[in-house]
Amino acid sequence: MSEEFQDHQIRDVIKINYKYTMGGQSKFFIELKNNKRLLGTKCTKCGKTWMPPRINCSDCYEPADWVELQQTGTIEVSTIVWYTTSAFIKAIPYGVGYIKLDGAETALLQGIFSENLVPSKIKKGKRVKVVFNKRRYGKMTDFFFVPDEEYDKWIAKPEYEGGL
Amino acid sequence: MRKVAIVGIGITPFKARYLDKTYFELAYDATKLALGDANKNGAEINHNNLESTVYGIYNELFERQFMPDIFINSYIGMNNKPGTRIASGGATGGYTVRMAYAEVASGLSDLCLCLGVEKCNDCYDEQTGVTTPEVLNAIAYSCDMTYEYPMGVMAASSYVSMVNAHYEEFGNPTEEQMAYVSVKNHGNAMLNPKAQSPMKVSVENVLNSRIICFPFKLLDCCLYSEASAALILASDDKVKELGVENPIWITGVGAANTDCFIGNREDMGRLYSNIYAAKAAYKMAGLDYNNIKKQIDLAELHDAFSGQEVISYEELGFVPFGEGGPWIEKTFEKSGEGPWLEGELPCCPSGGLIGCGHAVGATGIMSTGEAALQLRGEAGKHQVTIEKGRAISHSIGGPGAAYAAIIVMANEEGLKKP
Repeated sequence: MSEEFQDHQIRDVIKINYKYTMGGQSKFFIELKNNKRLLGTKCTKCGKTWMPPRINCSDCYEPADWVELQQTGTIEVSTIVWYTTSAFIKAIPYGVGYIKLDGAETALLQGIFSENLVPSKIKKGKRVKVVFNKRRYGKMTDFFFVPDEEYDKWIAKPEYEGGL
Repeated sequence: MRKVAIVGIGITPFKARYLDKTYFELAYDATKLALGDANKNGAEINHNNLESTVYGIYNELFERQFMPDIFINSYIGMNNKPGTRIASGGATGGYTVRMAYAEVASGLSDLCLCLGVEKCNDCYDEQTGVTTPEVLNAIAYSCDMTYEYPMGVMAASSYVSMVNAHYEEFGNPTEEQMAYVSVKNHGNAMLNPKAQSPMKVSVENVLNSRIICFPFKLLDCCLYSEASAALILASDDKVKELGVENPIWITGVGAANTDCFIGNREDMGRLYSNIYAAKAAYKMAGLDYNNIKKQIDLAELHDAFSGQEVISYEELGFVPFGEGGPWIEKTFEKSGEGPWLEGELPCCPSGGLIGCGHAVGATGIMSTGEAALQLRGEAGKHQVTIEKGRAISHSIGGPGAAYAAIIVMANEEGLKKP
């Protein structure tokens, strides 16, 4: 009567390829790739600066214009990741945080790199600068932030460079 | 709107792995348990009497199936009836209860099945030979795929941002205060036979467990689970017609979605979705946000991470902003050895997510069912004292905890009390 249960498992993967458009935000990625510029948008009515950019203000329902933001900013909050997803597990430990670029009102999520990655190095209030990859694809991974005092070291590495 | 009651509750054990069941088989089990429960309480019904289903299923990638609800619909014998799927991140369960409530309150159905299921650990990471990194990856696809996912963001690093911002503002929750939540919820789970992670752990055990995402440690985090949970909701008239002996009335449903980009929020140390959802739910139930702690007997909270339970105390109105950390400390000092089923307001008597596990779509339905069992006086070994006859369940989730849903329930006595 009682047959012992034996399980059967099947290996599989779901994979979909994309070539997706960034639509109204395309300019942000083009400027990032070609000119190392970080563009936010500013609402034509309320003046709120959006970063990541949106070409329409979600508060006013009015258009927003492109504005160039500084490549310096302040860490609002951060963490160091020590265990993570299959896609990033080889990269641990890594720092991520929300950075308010000078001139922006919203904070941008980005990687925060440091040669000495400890919580105190990347804590709230720390000043950071943007470092760009020399090889850029027009993607968010084209740039990252480093503490002010480490900037010169990072841009001296062959694969990276400073901004404008 | 019509009055709506929970008349049947079915919860499968929350487990790391069901090798002997698929997601639709698990969904069947919870449905059968809920029907059995309704029959035990006076209703003579079977699945043919259920008029509609609202499905709570968060993640297609877990189930390895888009539109998994339609395959459940077939397996549980609900063909040729309406079925609607809800997917709202970690708050899927609470949102599903809210929509099933609406199905009955509106008059669309008199008897509705509210059914949540998730089966995460079919995901498998070939490079590490374990499931978790691939489960986390399937969840990380919930972040903005252009701006956030490429940064290596995942659930823990998203939630920890808000907890760290709260710490920067108020000086709490400290790592010790977060550890108290872990000790409490793992400990309470020892009294819940359906829990995945019943454990007697000390504050030191939590503090010394491996770091996941600063300052969250392994024991600060819930584990992902495979499970299903079902509620049968009935209209006032149907409750009378069926002769249900112990209906638990849903008196308030509140939900809110806040900005999924944490960086857009005015204050990053807040889960705004909690605040708006709680206020809406309490208002509907005729309760007072500023006095809620004294108006309910228990809260089944969504403690995906210990620190997030602490800041939720504030946002759900239990204590003023900035006082969540000291409040758990006080609770802990009073009953340091546990179980934590007494005090000003017992939170997560079931063990919550940290103790029971997190079967995303099923979780909020489980916690609503758990709170309803408490109000019936049928919670078992983790039963708390019921004086006011009212309880809440809480669900939160999505990128930056953007979704939240709160359900307020009352037993017959609770309906009458001020």
